[in-house]
Amino acid sequence: MEVTNISGSNSENLKTTLESDVIVTEGVTKVYAADGIPVNALNGIDLTIQSGEFTALVGPSGSGKTTFLNIISGLDNPTEGTVWLAGKVLSEMSGNELSDFRRDNIGFIFQAYNLIPVLTVEENVEYIMLLAGVPKAERHTRVIAMLEAVGLTGVANRMPTQLSGGQQQRVAIARAMVSEPAIILADEPTANLDSKTGADLLEMMRRLNEETGMTFIFSTHDPMVMAGATRLITLRDGRIDPDEAR
Amino acid sequence: MIFKIAFRNTFRQKRRTILTGLAMVVGFTLLSLTIGLSDGAYGNIITMFTRNRIGHIQVHRDGYLDKPSLYKTIDDLSAVGEVIQSTAGVEAWTPRAYGAGLGSVGEKSTAIQIIGVDVARETEATRFDQKVVEGNTLAETPSHEAVIGKSLAKIVAATVGSEIVIVSQGADGSIANDVYKIVGIVESDDDATDRIGCYLHIEDAQELLVLNGRVHEIVVIVSNINQVDKITRAIETQLNDPTLDVAPWQVVAKSFYRAMQTDQQGDAISRLVIMLIVAIGVLNTVLMSVLERTREYGVLKAVGTKPMQVFWLVVCEVVIIALASICVGAILGALVNYLLSIYGITYPEEITYGGMKLKTLYAVVNVRCLVIPAITVLVSAAIVSLFPAIKAARIMPAKAMRTH
Ligand SMILES: Nc1ncnc2c1ncn2[C@@H]1O[C@H](COP(=O)(O)OP(=O)(O)OP(=O)(O)O)[C@@H](O)[C@H]1O
Ligand SMILES: [Mg+2]
Repeated sequence: MEVTNISGSNSENLKTTLESDVIVTEGVTKVYAADGIPVNALNGIDLTIQSGEFTALVGPSGSGKTTFLNIISGLDNPTEGTVWLAGKVLSEMSGNELSDFRRDNIGFIFQAYNLIPVLTVEENVEYIMLLAGVPKAERHTRVIAMLEAVGLTGVANRMPTQLSGGQQQRVAIARAMVSEPAIILADEPTANLDSKTGADLLEMMRRLNEETGMTFIFSTHDPMVMAGATRLITLRDGRIDPDEAR
Repeated sequence: MIFKIAFRNTFRQKRRTILTGLAMVVGFTLLSLTIGLSDGAYGNIITMFTRNRIGHIQVHRDGYLDKPSLYKTIDDLSAVGEVIQSTAGVEAWTPRAYGAGLGSVGEKSTAIQIIGVDVARETEATRFDQKVVEGNTLAETPSHEAVIGKSLAKIVAATVGSEIVIVSQGADGSIANDVYKIVGIVESDDDATDRIGCYLHIEDAQELLVLNGRVHEIVVIVSNINQVDKITRAIETQLNDPTLDVAPWQVVAKSFYRAMQTDQQGDAISRLVIMLIVAIGVLNTVLMSVLERTREYGVLKAVGTKPMQVFWLVVCEVVIIALASICVGAILGALVNYLLSIYGITYPEEITYGGMKLKTLYAVVNVRCLVIPAITVLVSAAIVSLFPAIKAARIMPAKAMRTH
């Protein structure tokens, strides 16, 4: 699997403007009030993610991994605590600022692929570039190259429902990475892939990380992915477990 | 891309899209129908009111309309008549002389209105002969004949062949009286005139009232009612006589015209109610689809779509359905109105409007019955989509993506 032709420019800008601390959290807690019963999903997370890190977020199911990824990207608000994104306090950013920041700097891979069902594979992957105003010809070449990189050739014009779960996951990965954002947040990216594809994906992410300095934070249950991470953060009941950090 | 997503979204829940569209189509068609029928009815009423009664334009001595008087006359009938005749767009004109008097048939007497008519011209202009329900119309030459209204005939117990004695006052101050033979009884669509109207040949009337060829009123019929204002101005300019007053029917029948306008405003309110019902139905389905797609809006926002773009996505979807509905509705509305303009709707009982009796209601197909519903449907669809669109735009992505 090879990454070719992807000549990103957005990430370059951010990398020069960002100091090394890309994401900083301080005392982040999240309490869900599900049916009146409060659930403490996060209990005070202090964490600093530096530019270029390749970090795995691990922990048992329900330990707060997804919640944490959502909060550091502004998809959800913390109950308490502060998040700094590229030096800016996240809660002080306007809706449009946040949208632009996510569009230009964060690539998401969700636990449940979350493709747009009415758009073809190609349209799904090019969507973010379209929002960012990348010209059509460039979008097309990038999409094709990216789909090839995730091992999906010849499905560009299919609808997401015509793909298997693993294929959909790879489209989601392609969508997240195609514009080479400075940060990739991935929620169990290999969960629905066979071990070979999973290993290929990990290798590709690793290469992107080394070559372009993209920051990766991904949650995972997969020991192979954990082994490939340069930093390991273990969550347990919404807290960082200091013993199992690396 | 936002438009593309909106467009494709409309094809997803086909049944709901069709239902939403159907509500709009029904709303459009109903609106179109009410406008077509109302315009048709008012057009019909106006035609009856003007064609058969007051004409399109009337000429009087200045001040006559506000306060009619025997002495406020048009003195040079032939000159004025010539000007009117030569004005483009005039189809017919007829002079009238009026006077108040007491009519007696045998023992019975009642107040009457003497209406002197130029029989030939009156027949051409207001179809006078067609109003005669018993006996004959007046002779075209003055021969001391009278035609009276049906109600008046009942009041004085007159039949065709009776003699009516009319007592009045001449313009020279003398007491005037004469006997006329009733040759016919008229029933117009105007109850008030039927109760007091006594038609004489205009020369008989002028003789009785000592008018010496003068008249009180000239009624003008034009070929196109929409040009009434223009023709009124043309006649006015050509007459160039400040002592004469040229008035279109809207001024002549001021209170009738105002009442009609008020009624039309009432119709506008019923249209608003129709639209409100449609809007609530549409709001409901749009809210449902937004709720259903919460997750997708969440994803779109998560990957960097601005709240405003999500807002437009929802509005776009509704507007697309609205535009399609307008096309279908326009065809249906035009068709229904067209059919009703030919076959009409017949009331089980005659209804009376402004003293006129109507039995069948005919619709018209005009620009109004297509443009007004189109604008109403489009605007209300846009308004209705605002609330769901704002809701979608403000979705919190993490929460949205947990819903299924
Ligand atoms: N919207 C919500 N409402 C109520 N409770 C929630 C909500 N989202 C998450 N939780 C709860 O918060 C806790 C953390 O959930 P989270 O999804 O972050 O766990 P996770 O580590 O991602 O688990 P998994 O490995 O299964 O994906 C869980 O106990 C979960 O039940
Ligand atoms: Mg999770």
